[in-house]
Amino acid sequence: MLKAENIKKKFTKITKNKEKFEFYANNGISMYAYDGEIIGILGPNGAGKTTFLRIIAGILEPTSGAVTFDELNYQDNETEIKKNIAYLSGNTKIYNTLSCYELLLMCADIYDVEKNDAERRILEISKTLDMDSFLYNRIETLSTGQTQRVNIARCLIHNPKYYILDEATNGLDVISSEIILNFIKNEKKKGKTIIYSTHYMEEAENICDKVLLMNHGKIILMGSPDEIKKETKTANLREAFFQKIGEDNNEE
Amino acid sequence: MKSKIKHILKKELREMFRDKKSLAMMLVIPIFIPLLVIGMSALFNLEMNVPITDYNQIGFAYSMSDTEKSLADSMNIEVYTGSIDELEKMFKDEKIKAYFTKEDNHYTIHGNDTTNSTYALELAKNYFDTYKSILQKDLLYEEQIDANKILNIITLEENIKIEDNYFASYIINYAFLFIIMAITVSATYPATDATAGEKERGTLETLLTFPIKSKDIIIGKFLSVTISSIITGLLSLILAIISLKLAGNLFPIYENMNLMLPLSSLCYAIMVIIGYSLLISGLCIAIASKCKTFKEAQSALTPLTFISFFPGMIAFMTGITTSNLLSCIPFLNYTLIFTDISNGNINGIHIILMLLSSFIIIALLLKVIIKEYKSEKVLFS
Repeated sequence: MLKAENIKKKFTKITKNKEKFEFYANNGISMYAYDGEIIGILGPNGAGKTTFLRIIAGILEPTSGAVTFDELNYQDNETEIKKNIAYLSGNTKIYNTLSCYELLLMCADIYDVEKNDAERRILEISKTLDMDSFLYNRIETLSTGQTQRVNIARCLIHNPKYYILDEATNGLDVISSEIILNFIKNEKKKGKTIIYSTHYMEEAENICDKVLLMNHGKIILMGSPDEIKKETKTANLREAFFQKIGEDNNEE
Repeated sequence: MKSKIKHILKKELREMFRDKKSLAMMLVIPIFIPLLVIGMSALFNLEMNVPITDYNQIGFAYSMSDTEKSLADSMNIEVYTGSIDELEKMFKDEKIKAYFTKEDNHYTIHGNDTTNSTYALELAKNYFDTYKSILQKDLLYEEQIDANKILNIITLEENIKIEDNYFASYIINYAFLFIIMAITVSATYPATDATAGEKERGTLETLLTFPIKSKDIIIGKFLSVTISSIITGLLSLILAIISLKLAGNLFPIYENMNLMLPLSSLCYAIMVIIGYSLLISGLCIAIASKCKTFKEAQSALTPLTFISFFPGMIAFMTGITTSNLLSCIPFLNYTLIFTDISNGNINGIHIILMLLSSFIIIALLLKVIIKEYKSEKVLFS
């Protein structure tokens, strides 16, 4: 089980006049995700989604609050937690000079996957994600969609328990997006937990068990897509989104 | 959990050896050393062996005696005569390189500070001293005085040791200085690529999600840059040795000189190269990891190339020698000890102090960067 408790993250910006300006990108976020759940994180740009996902993935340290995975916290078990996580964003870049095979083998090595197992898994994943035609090509020669498939393969190689996906389908064509969505659904079936941020409301409505709506660093609404639609008396998540964000902005 | 340093090291080395620019920095820069050694030697040789026909055109603005004519002839002086104005014009047109004017018994030599004129002035002075000596001897002979007793009342003999060849020590020291500079230049590119470059390409975020400790990431990157620097340093040393050997055979200025270093000195030189590679790699990684982009890091690292070169150059020019204190001053210590090695004055304590001070600096630098990689500063600084 993944648990985030009262996560706050303060950043300091220096303005053009060299004045310091402090703001909270996350301001008291609490959530939990059970095994086998897909949690969707929605919100406008600047709502704090990426910061929150980076904190969960252990890339950023929260100013206060704590994240635990199966009762383990980052302070004492950073590497142990990271072994069970896969993080992927729409902007995630990988090492261009390596071939897909070399990258996957390197990742497997880092995650302590035995070499024989790693080779077997690479071939399996390559087949699942239809990567056979470019498995031994250098990443710099691949298209955006192919690169994102390699990224997914990188996430799968160590068979993690938790997936943290930050706008992973951003900028991809329909086919590449479909591959990612199928991957999410398949992993859920295996009991994996997926935390997933997106701007595509229909996508979230279709695959998420629970949705968190964020604005100005806070969660303003949380529940299953059906609960949210019921609470906001709207027909779909898109309408619910606009209604709640509008209300929250007016209050601010 | 076992250390992941080797994974990072392997990744960095693979990236480095596949990147043409990194390879060029590592392997091409040492090629400048033979060019420097051979080029400078050729220049010295040219300066030392200027043919007399390049500067023996000397003007005389007065009527020369037979003695003078015969002396000029014996000294291979090509005599030009004429009025002062005529000689001045010939001098301006570079037809003559120096000229004499005379008023009663007072002679004046005219010339300038161009190379050929300097040599012509030297020749003219010799001519004048010899002519003066002939006149003195004639006068003493007329007075029936033994000229040798008067003119050679004291004598001077030159006893110059062959080891004190200025050019040889100059060229060896410069070759060593250039090795230091080559190592610095070679370290900047991979250090920039492994830190600011990784940040700019967006792969750092991926790296930070891996179950690898910040310490392992930094040490892996540091070792890869060090390996690149050591390769450049050793290649530079090999090329320096080959080109010194070649210069020794090619140019007469090094005649009877042994430009080769003994094996023990070479071992110490390798030790200095390794120590300096560690120091400069730590420094480059520390500076570059503070930068957001590749370009910013390169600008920040450029002064380091000059900083690595200048202390040694100043020490070499001013004749500063190694002491216990100077052995602890970064950059200066490496060039001073390199000079000591080339002169054969190796002091173990100085080498230990140099390495010790470097290790302390490297440890402090790595501690700072590891701390930075533990916080979000590394992504947002």
